[in-house]
Amino acid sequence: MKGLFPLLLLLGSAAPNPSGDDGKLPASVEKLFEEKGGDGKPILGDGDRAYLKKLPLHTRELIAKDVDAVTLGGARHLKALLSLELSSQAAAIVFSDNCILCHADPESQKPIHLFSADPKATNSSPLLNLKSFVSDVHFRRGLSCAGCHGGSPDKDVMTPDIAARWPKADVRHVDRTWIPEFCARCHADPGFMRGFNPSLPTDQLSKYRQSQHGILLLNEKDSKAAQCVSCHGVHGIRGPKSRQSTVHPQAIPETCGHCHADPKYMAGYRKDDGTPLPTDQLEGFKKSVHGKALLERGDLGAPACNDCHGNHAAMPPAVSSISQVCRTCHSQNGTFFDGSKHKQAFEAHHWPECEKCHGKHQIAKPTDALISDASDGLCGSCHAENARDNRECNETARYFRSTLTDLVTTSQRLRPETEELATRGLDAEPIVASLDELKDAIVQTRSRVHTFDRGGFDQGAKAGREAAAKTEALLEAARSEQRYRRNGLLVSIGLMSFLAVVMGLRIRELSRRRGQGNGDRHDP
Amino acid sequence: MTGAQSPAAPASTGERLYRWLDARFGLGRLVEFARHKEVPVGGHSMVWYYLGGATLFFFTVQLASGVLLLMYYQAGEQTSYESIRYITTKVPFGWLVRSIHCWSAHLMIVALVVHMFSTMMLKAYRRPRELTWLTGFVLFAIALGFGFSGYLLPWNELAFFATAVGTDSVKSVPVIGQWLLEVMRGGPDVTINTLYRFFALHVVILPLVMVAVVSTHLLFIQVQGMAKPMAHQAPSRPGLRFFPDFLLRDLLLWLVCLIVLSVLVYLLPYGPGIPGMEWELGKKANPLAPAYPGIKPEWYFLWVYQLLKEFPAHLFGMEGPQAALLVVTVLMGIWALVPWLDRRAAKGLPSPMFTDLAIAAIIFMAYLTLKAWDIGGKSADPSKLPDARATAWTCAWIVLGVSSAIAVLRILAYRQRWMFFSGAALLQVVLNGVFGVDYLIAGAVALVVVIAGVVLTSRKSPAARLEAPR
Repeated sequence: MKGLFPLLLLLGSAAPNPSGDDGKLPASVEKLFEEKGGDGKPILGDGDRAYLKKLPLHTRELIAKDVDAVTLGGARHLKALLSLELSSQAAAIVFSDNCILCHADPESQKPIHLFSADPKATNSSPLLNLKSFVSDVHFRRGLSCAGCHGGSPDKDVMTPDIAARWPKADVRHVDRTWIPEFCARCHADPGFMRGFNPSLPTDQLSKYRQSQHGILLLNEKDSKAAQCVSCHGVHGIRGPKSRQSTVHPQAIPETCGHCHADPKYMAGYRKDDGTPLPTDQLEGFKKSVHGKALLERGDLGAPACNDCHGNHAAMPPAVSSISQVCRTCHSQNGTFFDGSKHKQAFEAHHWPECEKCHGKHQIAKPTDALISDASDGLCGSCHAENARDNRECNETARYFRSTLTDLVTTSQRLRPETEELATRGLDAEPIVASLDELKDAIVQTRSRVHTFDRGGFDQGAKAGREAAAKTEALLEAARSEQRYRRNGLLVSIGLMSFLAVVMGLRIRELSRRRGQGNGDRHDP
Repeated sequence: MTGAQSPAAPASTGERLYRWLDARFGLGRLVEFARHKEVPVGGHSMVWYYLGGATLFFFTVQLASGVLLLMYYQAGEQTSYESIRYITTKVPFGWLVRSIHCWSAHLMIVALVVHMFSTMMLKAYRRPRELTWLTGFVLFAIALGFGFSGYLLPWNELAFFATAVGTDSVKSVPVIGQWLLEVMRGGPDVTINTLYRFFALHVVILPLVMVAVVSTHLLFIQVQGMAKPMAHQAPSRPGLRFFPDFLLRDLLLWLVCLIVLSVLVYLLPYGPGIPGMEWELGKKANPLAPAYPGIKPEWYFLWVYQLLKEFPAHLFGMEGPQAALLVVTVLMGIWALVPWLDRRAAKGLPSPMFTDLAIAAIIFMAYLTLKAWDIGGKSADPSKLPDARATAWTCAWIVLGVSSAIAVLRILAYRQRWMFFSGAALLQVVLNGVFGVDYLIAGAVALVVVIAGVVLTSRKSPAARLEAPR
């Protein structure tokens, strides 16, 4: 019931000020404006007064009550809270929560316990950042300190039930195994979560238990392994859609890299084959086609770490599952590969399908240059080692490469000319549409390289050749129209110039006849 | 036709037709009028006499191409953009007609502006041609109205947002601003109702008014004849016969204009790509889309657009745009009343003050227009805003260079000395552009110089002595 109180306040505060409310501040609050700082100037200014006046009546009354109860210690304390620039809804929660009020009072709290809007300036713990806390997804849904720490927000003294549900301080900082279970008290309870966010899954704990992190923490009691707060933080937790969240798609690489890119932290962790776990994944990812798309272009459709490894059930994909991970997005390439000769060969060698050619974290943007039977080409280098002197394969590779080069060259040649004709006022729209067809066909043809078969590849290449021919024909028609226009202009100018000359001669003759040469000197 | 042939010779078909018409309509009087109609010669180049004709030519092209466009254009939310696209891509020579219409519109304004400034400099507005000047001024306003109303008709992104910004400035009119805005837009926002209004204005109301005012303007010219060069500038010389001598020259110029128009239409079918002078169709208007970046009006409105930007949000208790539009209205009012203000010209005396006023107006508008084009301030990164300081600096030096050259020419070739107006306009440019003084403060300083100049001139020496007769 107590937990619902802030929520009720939040809902209540959304209502507009009752009519007749003149925004007057209660006398006890008004008195705070008389307090002066060390420099002799009032601590609270006109801006603070204006802000307070805009608050709903019941929030102003709450503040007055806090002042009367001395949970709001004075002007400096109020100033610290007003610096948060809270919405009226958030202000209602803050001023009804004694935990926040007391722990945000710089005059009564030691730095180690002080909730500060600027922890650096007050030397308090970075975890006690009040600005972050009032943006926390839990706080914004009405869940405040007591929700996790226990106790009651309306008590004005510390009670023994605070932190009673946690392990003792000397244990809980060393042994982190309690954290997943603690968060799961709410997050694994569908009935409870329905009241806050019905769309949020409640299977995080069960997934976590099966994850590499979960196994290490819960089974092997390795408290270095990541648990909830390692990724989500504390006191400033935001949903994954928030750009400031540690689990926003663009923040995930750094969040994972916080541990996985730290050789010191990762020392001692090994892969299944016994080799040390590398720490270059983040560096590689940033250089990869996926990393550039996600981090540089802001394409949220590009995968971050969790899209391949999972979130709460994070595991390294096995050889057998890598291709399935890639197929989540690149399904067509996977289907073509399944029907190819390479499928059996890869299975025989126990090679991970996609990764074998494209790599893993540092996946570069594939180019047509990869398709080459030369020793520096992708095909050539692998075949030299595993299927030397296979003539048919070499010819196929050369055919793939030359076909793609032809299509790409045609596209690159025709597009600038199309743009040039468009600036000349010709209808370039059908040509652009045809060029787009060609572009799509090139993408399809590249995808069909994964069939490793001429027949399969030609299905894409044929569409490309047809689009190229159609574009050429449309361009030729446009060129012809351009010539027609140019010739029309030349003929028109010729005729008009002839007429102008005739008129000029006639004017000259008239001038001569009338003897007006002097007066016409300035004529055009 | 003129009766010069031998009575024994049989009358030609043309002659018979003329006699038939003459018997019914008295054509003889007209022919007699035409035979004696002359164009004054001497005092200044005759080229200035052809500019009205060139403007009329471009207006005729506008009418003809506009009628052709009207055969395919369909005003409507689902049809305006589509029909223009259809005209430019599917209709035979549709691209040509649209491009001619657009190019000709701009060339008409160019010819009109040059015609107006030449009339100003030559004092052709002087008594008894005050009403000819006034009708010309009205024609100028109507031409601007044509440009503004026609801009929206393609119903593309640029047109939509430019119209939204343009019509929004009407709000600044005191008391009736909001009402006027809603009358113009057909509601509080730019919607398809605005398009319908602008369409009616562009193809019915303005052409009717334009034809009426052009006819009045031409009638005045026929009744009063073309203005002779100022008496103090030109000795009396026999004039040039209008028919056929001047008319042939006029037609020759029209032909040259047509050739220029054809070449421009072929080489630059969507305009020269200068902001305010481009008409590529682009995307269809979407009222819900974010505003089109870098919206600017057509080039002849750019000086007003820039002036609005130079004003602060509030000035002397007025809103900035309100104050700016007040300045524009006062300046335009002065311009319209020049024939009555210039009393010296009315008496046939030299009035160097008004010659200089025209030069000052050119400097004033040129500087603002160049600034509106962001000349010298554009960043290589298109997402960055132009550097206003760098723009002002570059534009000031351009204007200063060209104006100085013109001033030297005026002194040496025309022996003109009275330059307080143009000097003040240039002072404002230099203070604002070179020294970074606020535009309005620079304007106030310039105004003080102008007042001082006018007072000094009226006290010390008659302006007549300052401009040597030519």
